[in-house]
Amino acid sequence: MKTLHADIVTPDRKIFSGEVQSIQLPGSEGSFEILFNHAPIVATLETGKIRIKTADGKTELIKGVGGVVEVSNNKVSVLLEKAESI
Amino acid sequence: MANLKEIRNRIKSVKSTQQITKAMKMVSAAKLRRAQDNIIMLRPYAGKLRDLIDNLQGNSSEAEALSPLTENRSLDKVLIVVVTSNKGLCGAFNANVNKGTVQLIQEKYSEQYKAGNVSLLCIGKYGFEFFNKRKFNILDNKNTDLFSQLSFDRVNEVADRVISGFVQKEWDRVEVVFNEFKNVATQRRVNEVVLPISMPEQTGGGKTSSVDYIFEPGREEILSDLLPKSIKIQLFKAVLESNAAEHGARMTAMDKATENANELLGKLKLYYNTARQAAITKELLEIVGGANALESN
Repeated sequence: MKTLHADIVTPDRKIFSGEVQSIQLPGSEGSFEILFNHAPIVATLETGKIRIKTADGKTELIKGVGGVVEVSNNKVSVLLEKAESI
Repeated sequence: MANLKEIRNRIKSVKSTQQITKAMKMVSAAKLRRAQDNIIMLRPYAGKLRDLIDNLQGNSSEAEALSPLTENRSLDKVLIVVVTSNKGLCGAFNANVNKGTVQLIQEKYSEQYKAGNVSLLCIGKYGFEFFNKRKFNILDNKNTDLFSQLSFDRVNEVADRVISGFVQKEWDRVEVVFNEFKNVATQRRVNEVVLPISMPEQTGGGKTSSVDYIFEPGREEILSDLLPKSIKIQLFKAVLESNAAEHGARMTAMDKATENANELLGKLKLYYNTARQAAITKELLEIVGGANALESN
């Protein structure tokens, strides 16, 4: 399974950093999922859950408030204003 | 003999003062490390945000038209954010910022000041007290306390207030004055214009268009969502820098105080020993004199 690199950061700290299979995000125009070789995208996010499927198949959930995601070259950067893992 | 006791008391009190300054230095050192960590934690977020904004803006004139936050209005009203500390005993740390703010007003905004259009937002007790005493126009007339519990949320609230005031034309320019943390021993006073946002000059032309992004919802919406964020980050960074600089300044000040106490102790001990020796000599002389007087009888 091909993986992509994801970084999830808030101004206070780094929430998550690592290889993931997929990442599901609450976009402001609806929820969407990012997989390997996703086209470059910049999208704003709503308050909601972010579901990460890591490279070793585990699922992680993060509750995020207000943010933006950027994907390019199989690199995902999620900038959140506030976040907590659940 | 009373003199000896006085010196002994003095030595005791200097010693206990020294203990306090030593402890304060240690506490500041620990807090400084945490404050530095906070700055480091902010870096990835700030860096990514800057990259993103750089990527998003095709050309600066377009971006300027897009957002009310980049609007350059005629300078009628000015807000200055003054970041000082809540506690003293940190050398010239607070005096520096206060002096710098006064200087800034005199040099750049003297006309606006004469018209009574310069407001101050004081973060930290020392700045507030300084400017309150001098009857400056302080926003909300209170000390905006962020340092008792420093977090992005709290800074966020302040930033929202600053941004909404700018949009509603309560002020036409916002500038922040704070101490930048250079290293443990040195702080540098900085003035930064926060609003209106100045768009960086595009260098290298077509470089940004190399990645063809999908924008959701749209490029303008995203940019107008990101610009307030960058202001918040700028403000948050200023507060964090000031926090680290404060602890650095206190550490140096307390280190100096401990050193001075040591010097004073050395002098006092010398003085004490001299006085003791003199007293002993005097006693001996008295005894010898007494014995001689007995013998000659």
